[in-house]
Amino acid sequence: MILVYIDLQKGGASMEVGTGASKEVIKPTVTVSKKRNKTFFAKLKSQKVLLAMSLPFLVWLFIFKYVPLWGWTIAFQDFKPARSIMDQEWIGMEHFKFLFTDENFWRVLRNTVGMSSINLVLGFVTAIGLALLINEIRNLRFKKSVQTISYLPHFISWVVAASIVSYSLSLENGIINIVLVNLGIVDEPILWLGKEKWFWVINGLAEVWKNVGWNTIIYLAAITMIDPEQYEAADIDGASRLQRIRHITLPSLKPTIIILIIMNLGYVLESGFEAQYLLGNPMNLSYSENLDIYVLKYGMAMGNFSLATAAGIFKTVVSFIFLFSANHIAKKFDQPRLF
Amino acid sequence: MIKKSLSVLLMVMMLIAIVGCTKDDSTSGKSSDGDSKDKVTFTYFNAASPGKDLNTNETKIGKIFEDQTGVNFKTEYLVGDINTKIGTMIASGKYPDVLVPDIAIDKVLDAGAFIDLTELIDEHAPNIKKLYGPFLNQMKDKDGKINFIPFAAKQGFIKDPNITQGAFWIQRGVLREAGYPKIKTLDEYLALIEDYQKKHPEVNGASTIGFTALTYDWRFFALSNVPNHLAGYPNDGEVIVDMKTHKTDVYADNDITKRYFKELNELNSKGLFDKEAFVANYDEYLAKLASGRVLGFFDYGWQVQQSLDNLKVAGNDDLRYMPLPITFDGQKDQYIDPPAFINNRGVGITVSAKDPVRIIKYFDNMVKEENQKLMFWGIKDETYSVDDKGRFYQTEEQFAKTSDEKYRDESGLNTFEYYWPMGDMLYSDGNAWVPGKQPEVAQVSYTDGDKAILKAYDAEVFSDLFADPDDRPWYPTWSAVIEQGSDPQIFGQRKTDLTKEFFPKLVLAKPGDFDKVWDEYIKEFNKLDAKSLEDLMDKVVEDRIKAAEENK
Repeated sequence: MILVYIDLQKGGASMEVGTGASKEVIKPTVTVSKKRNKTFFAKLKSQKVLLAMSLPFLVWLFIFKYVPLWGWTIAFQDFKPARSIMDQEWIGMEHFKFLFTDENFWRVLRNTVGMSSINLVLGFVTAIGLALLINEIRNLRFKKSVQTISYLPHFISWVVAASIVSYSLSLENGIINIVLVNLGIVDEPILWLGKEKWFWVINGLAEVWKNVGWNTIIYLAAITMIDPEQYEAADIDGASRLQRIRHITLPSLKPTIIILIIMNLGYVLESGFEAQYLLGNPMNLSYSENLDIYVLKYGMAMGNFSLATAAGIFKTVVSFIFLFSANHIAKKFDQPRLF
Repeated sequence: MIKKSLSVLLMVMMLIAIVGCTKDDSTSGKSSDGDSKDKVTFTYFNAASPGKDLNTNETKIGKIFEDQTGVNFKTEYLVGDINTKIGTMIASGKYPDVLVPDIAIDKVLDAGAFIDLTELIDEHAPNIKKLYGPFLNQMKDKDGKINFIPFAAKQGFIKDPNITQGAFWIQRGVLREAGYPKIKTLDEYLALIEDYQKKHPEVNGASTIGFTALTYDWRFFALSNVPNHLAGYPNDGEVIVDMKTHKTDVYADNDITKRYFKELNELNSKGLFDKEAFVANYDEYLAKLASGRVLGFFDYGWQVQQSLDNLKVAGNDDLRYMPLPITFDGQKDQYIDPPAFINNRGVGITVSAKDPVRIIKYFDNMVKEENQKLMFWGIKDETYSVDDKGRFYQTEEQFAKTSDEKYRDESGLNTFEYYWPMGDMLYSDGNAWVPGKQPEVAQVSYTDGDKAILKAYDAEVFSDLFADPDDRPWYPTWSAVIEQGSDPQIFGQRKTDLTKEFFPKLVLAKPGDFDKVWDEYIKEFNKLDAKSLEDLMDKVVEDRIKAAEENK
């Protein structure tokens, strides 16, 4: 018991272990450091198999996530490929200055945040909603086919999906316009992809159509973890279906939802790339262009890798801030959290 | 301690070994006298176009070249993304012996991957020197080095019989119904379309589209370049070059641009402009043209070739298009490219090449006129014939043969089609360098419908309707090397972004609002640094005029 407690404190893990009992034993462990050392190595030895198993992943993490951070130096240089670092010209914060003084940058930032917020909200609401609905279906065959059909668009590449979307929205043969006109909702077909202010919505809905099925998987998995006895008890108490969803399913899903929200807030500057790139056109440009497209145009396409890196650093810093503050807020309100 | 120093020593040794190895690899040009005809195979990578990977000596033409020089090339063509592929080469430092880097050429030059050819050409390549003689100055970079050999060293001038460059295209049915009028101005052109659309609101059950435009992604220039052509200038990219002062001017904010978009705005208010023009992608655009619903459009022939071919195969002559040299007020048109030397694309020998002398000798051998004829015309009496006046022509059979992809692959006509050191325009005997430019060959490819409409306009080939290009030694300014990430390049990108945003607004605005939108556009445009590009282009024009005069 003592050992477990100390170890967790050091690792900063957030699991709560028998608080009452452990408080008493903190003192002796701190004072007898020699003993602790010994026990540490003893434990190391006893867990060597586990350590060996995790080692490859640590190496992977280091090589693919930490080593590339060295590349951040590019952002402060006037980088030219195939030259050694000694031959590069260092120009300080020039590229950041370019970014933050460019009007276009703030416009694409607005679009990025706008679209990713819409995606975030719509994504969560629809995925949880669909998961709850699917969970309530009693007919197994129907349930499976609904699941399969809703997963399918996830496996289509955006290139194909964008064509489907743009075709459905087209002026003359688009299904959306045909339905709207025949129902008398609009008088004449609307050029949807030409309405710049609608782009965020169209993009959000397309994203939902493509990914909603896929996103339900994690919730459905979480739902299966709920103890059936709780439902049985509720049944006996005479709870209706809606009441069971409200008082059992949703509260049980809460930890999953909060953890996913925290993680997704880290991606607030990632509103996707393919959908906007493929559905974007001159008429909706001022609302469809996001950070990634901007980086592609002003960074990669011009061979200006330094600018692209600077934008990447900016994104990382913002993600960091969002992730930590969301986690901090969750901690404050005593909710489940990442760390 | 001993252990530690031992490991350090080991590391140092390994480092030396690695450095040593790379040194060994990169020592290029194991000099040979180059006279040897021993069989040798080099590698050739083409990032500019898709193609068939093969050994050149497996093709008929390549075999002849191997017999002459002993050299065979193993060719490889780009699959996938060009920047990734070239980037990998640069990062690894391993290149093919001969490289055609296409648009990635700046990166290759930055990385110093090409060897300097100046001495090699001087010593081993009298034929290249002769063919490229007038252009040698333009081939040199800032340090005076020749890093690569550009394609198509133009000798003399001959108009392409068919229009592969810009033009206002109109459905032949429209012309036929109006009695084949000779039209020159934009107003006449649009009036013809308007009349016809009133009489024929539907084609094959779908509504007729008066006029459309290609606006997708990087092809947006097919819309933004038009005012410049209407004012009687060739495609100099973003600028107009004044013929007298030789000063350049970015015309996106000029009156000619305003005038053109005002016309389109009117067209739109009359319901003649394609509503989907600004949202359609390239494929949708091509499909629309091939459907026969579109009466007129502006574009470059090479961008719409696929649709034109489809319409030709479909066989309804009324739905096919006729290219016309339309200008604002009927001034002299300059749609046909002036003979130009594109000096920012080419083929180079890389630092990985084992024997540059043999390669340059191979290149030198292939630019001899008889070998160039072999590369482009093929084998005499098999793919072309010569009449008693020495003119080259093709029978229908020969024409069909040279259009057959399988035959083109086997003979090497595809492999040697372009992307090697080559000339263009006219041989010393007066025949066209490539069959496509020989009027005799063009006429074999024409259908009866083509011949009929040409007769109605009193022309032999389509380009007869277009004016000859004036002498513009700076043409095309769009081939100027603009430093990556520099102010002019950033201006170019910002200008494209701005025009992409505003041109649709200008066209689709209510006619009463047009001036308001235009003023808003100009306000935004003036925030951009147009001068940076104009300054650069002024310099480019000046340098090119100077280079042209030195070569005279």
